[in-house]
Amino acid sequence: MTSRVDRTVGKNVSRVDGHAKVTGQAVYVDDLTTPGALFGGTVRSAVARGTLRGIRKDPSFDWTGITVVTAADIPGDNVVALIEDDQPLLAKDAIRHVYEPVALVACDDPVRLQQAIAAITLDVEPLPPVLSIEDAEAKKQIIYGKDNVQKRYVIEHELGGKTIDELILACDVVVTGRYAVHHQEQMYIEPQGMVAHWQEAGEGAEAGVGDGVHVTGSLQCPFYVHKAMKRAFALEGDRVHIGQAVTGGGFGGKEEYPSILAAHAALLSKVAGKPVRMIYGRKEDIEATTKRHPARIEITTGCTKAGELVALKVECAMDGGAYVTLTPVVLSRGILHAAGAYKWKHARIHGWAVATNTPPNGAFRGFGAPQTIWAIERHMDRIAEKLGKDPLTLRQQNLLAIGAVTVTGQTLTQSVGVVECIEKAVKSSDYFAKRAAYAKPSPAAGSRTRTRRGIGAAVFMHGAGFTGSGERRLKGKVQVDLEPGGRLRVRSASTDIGQGTETIFRQIAADAAELPFDTIEIETPNTSNVPDSGPTVASRTVMVVGSIVGKGAKMIADRVRASGTGDFATLADALLAREKKVSTLVEYEPPVAVQWNDDTYRGDAYPCYAWACDIAEVEVDLDTFETKVIGFWAAQDIGKAIHPIMCAGQVEGGTLQAIGWALYENLVMKDGHILNARMTNYVIPTSKDAPPFTTFLVEHPFSGGPSGAKGVGELPMDGGAPAIAAAVEQAIGALCNDLPLLPEDLFRAKSKSQVARS
Amino acid sequence: MSAHAPAGLARTEMVCPKTIAEACAVLAQAHRDKRAASLLAGGTDVIVDRHLMPIEKARPLDLVVDLTGVDELTAISERDVAGERHLVFGGGVTYWQLRTDRRVLAAIPMLDAMAKDVGAVQIQTRGTLAGNIATASPAADGVPALMALDGVVKLVSEGGARTVPLDQFFLAYRKTVLAAGELIAEIDVRVPLPGARVTWRKVGTRLAQAISKVALAGVIEEERGTITRARFGVASVAAVTHPLGGVRALAEGKTFKALDRATVDAAIDLEIKPIDDVRSTGAYRLHVAKALVWRALAP
Repeated sequence: MTSRVDRTVGKNVSRVDGHAKVTGQAVYVDDLTTPGALFGGTVRSAVARGTLRGIRKDPSFDWTGITVVTAADIPGDNVVALIEDDQPLLAKDAIRHVYEPVALVACDDPVRLQQAIAAITLDVEPLPPVLSIEDAEAKKQIIYGKDNVQKRYVIEHELGGKTIDELILACDVVVTGRYAVHHQEQMYIEPQGMVAHWQEAGEGAEAGVGDGVHVTGSLQCPFYVHKAMKRAFALEGDRVHIGQAVTGGGFGGKEEYPSILAAHAALLSKVAGKPVRMIYGRKEDIEATTKRHPARIEITTGCTKAGELVALKVECAMDGGAYVTLTPVVLSRGILHAAGAYKWKHARIHGWAVATNTPPNGAFRGFGAPQTIWAIERHMDRIAEKLGKDPLTLRQQNLLAIGAVTVTGQTLTQSVGVVECIEKAVKSSDYFAKRAAYAKPSPAAGSRTRTRRGIGAAVFMHGAGFTGSGERRLKGKVQVDLEPGGRLRVRSASTDIGQGTETIFRQIAADAAELPFDTIEIETPNTSNVPDSGPTVASRTVMVVGSIVGKGAKMIADRVRASGTGDFATLADALLAREKKVSTLVEYEPPVAVQWNDDTYRGDAYPCYAWACDIAEVEVDLDTFETKVIGFWAAQDIGKAIHPIMCAGQVEGGTLQAIGWALYENLVMKDGHILNARMTNYVIPTSKDAPPFTTFLVEHPFSGGPSGAKGVGELPMDGGAPAIAAAVEQAIGALCNDLPLLPEDLFRAKSKSQVARS
Repeated sequence: MSAHAPAGLARTEMVCPKTIAEACAVLAQAHRDKRAASLLAGGTDVIVDRHLMPIEKARPLDLVVDLTGVDELTAISERDVAGERHLVFGGGVTYWQLRTDRRVLAAIPMLDAMAKDVGAVQIQTRGTLAGNIATASPAADGVPALMALDGVVKLVSEGGARTVPLDQFFLAYRKTVLAAGELIAEIDVRVPLPGARVTWRKVGTRLAQAISKVALAGVIEEERGTITRARFGVASVAAVTHPLGGVRALAEGKTFKALDRATVDAAIDLEIKPIDDVRSTGAYRLHVAKALVWRALAP
């Protein structure tokens, strides 16, 4: 047998992409050199809703060498193939949001391109737009289906023939609350971009390049783009080649939109007969691409005087924007997290998403859960207030645990580390002592700078992997090949978008195969040379795809070792010489115990959950209402930290994104236009605004994940905002039920509460 | 290369004078030739503005006069004016110079505090005082600080020189008294007396890389309990950086104890009517401006 190899899982190996990125050698889509490529741009609607009557090209403009395409030029179906077929690649008759793409332009000069775009006028007959959830619900204008509802779900748990209202009214203490959250822009560091070219039959055969259309760009899910491209161009799958360039962040924002941009670049390239590059600037990226869904969530609960939670009613409305995109899935995850990390005897959770004439909302880290967790966590604080209990004590009293049953009827059987998370965060932050101290009246009078502190907690969980039967339907696959010298090549569609997939897959494969870390290669995802492992979303990359990466690597290594005696490389080369190709294709099999019913919305919503407790300590200036987060403790049970530094990075980064959502970010819209589509005025926190983080990686292993790992990508986005809000509320004594909590909002809330008191 | 290309730069001539006189001559000639000319100091406004300008709105720019090679503009010196100590900054003095010049740090630490709040280090090393003044953004950080220090700008042209107090320099939103052919050669500020209450407080959208919602600079001096000097500059509450002359008039000659919050607030209400915009609300700005002024004046 081979000599023992140092295991790397659980160790902080150097990131394989680190050197290239730090030294500027990594090739992002904008760095790709494509000889003869044209620059592509987009003509967009300036109205939120209307009927497109015509597209006029200014006759006084010199159109020589400029390609213009419209919906009529699309060879296949004019739809963005995803869930519903409601979104066109280019608007043909109906305009449904500002910035909707209507025509595309390509030119060899970027300045002339901008001039050409400005020389195209859209004749649009405006119609009254629907711009908010309330507008859509009022149904004065019907813009989707018969009632503006894009999707609706209901979860019912142990109602026993009664209504949820009856069950709630039978309780000692009834609390009602209404909570709202706002848009959020992903603000990945690299705006979206795609480069497309067409290869005629036989042309690229020598170089091993397939016929058909080639698109390379910044993306999370190559096979989503592949599916959309087949449909748009009426092509067989083997003529569509989608590759990933080094990608500078996604956060969900590069889940569905790249399908549109890829099809746009490819369409221009097809008509112009030249390669086309379409790279968005920041403004266009913020205006055109998806955002987090705003939501309004009403909760009514009943509990005992002693604080035992009994019955829960949630009414959750989300703003899907102009097209369905991934909204049904976001809504589903939202309602599946709406009960929080708590036991309820009875529950009814009703969620619906409405269409509005605003840019489509879509995938964003947390995927619906940050919205509903905001609401339930704020509501837990409202209950605690009513009971006169410490809010964290109330949470501890009602926590889900192994053996407990969730509102979908799922019995938790393993990997519930929430108690340890709370203990660690509480002890390190000194939560209870600070909570008591900050409850006392104001600090020393006469001090010229008036500030007050507060501390707050949130407890939450995040389902790991796809919802319900998603993984069973998807059948994600990974291929592992043996290569000369005893090296393994892992082929998967899971993209490294900055979160470290390449490094972590090597760790998992190396340990499973008992081979050195540097003998593992990770193939850069391209639909022509990797199998469909499913999308890089839903905190599933390590837990789901990682588990089959390990399995495949072990299978190949076992075959090599079983082929004879001697060192691994020699055996491998001999085996390759005999068999020419040594490869395995592994398909993901969800744990058999996981059963889900899509019709009743009952069963095991997720194979497992990651758990967490966040504690935030803030200092608020009582004159300016600026909130400074002076401490943040995040204890998160992720099963196993494959790479602890990167996991801690996910926790800190995700938490900072949540802090941004709570305290800084604010998408300003007027008549469907975004007024602050710049990094200067869409304000995300900088490192200077980041609090000192204390992070605990808690490890209660999940039997279905590699080395026990669950998801870590989204969990940290869920709890930051409610923890901050609880702390701010304690500091200034104004109700914080709606996001954001900008200084202006706190000033308004405080002014109102003072008026109310006097 | 983003799809948003800098507009029309290809047609622009660039000249790099070495002296103020040379720069003025170039500007005068351009004016006579009716060529559109722009001064380039740190470039943190002019380059960004042209980059962001929609192509169909881009104005032609015939000439850029790059001032970065004019050494006279980067000097910091001292002078005595009627027995009072003044510092004189060349127009090209950067925020980074304010943060690192020993005389400035010792005499007017408020300028260091202000400079720290500008953009981030990259902007601080490029951005200049004259550029900040000439751009005439009501959200400028440097201008309120210089205004509270009784700043006076020296404007130089081919025909000569004149001086204008900063509180008379701005005419309207982004409009100044600066005439074609003139450049800001110097800014003179009075060093506050030892023991003066000197305030700088920027309320921005975040701690760095932020544009102010409100920023207040204040210099309050007293003699035996009587306020002898109360000078302010406040950003982002009016079309121009505002000196709050009414508050000055109210406070000077009174004791701290004779001032009360309601009277000061009322004076501020008469002077500024901040607006709602993408960064903040008028009501919030007014509230914060009052709170910051009161922090500066409170007994």
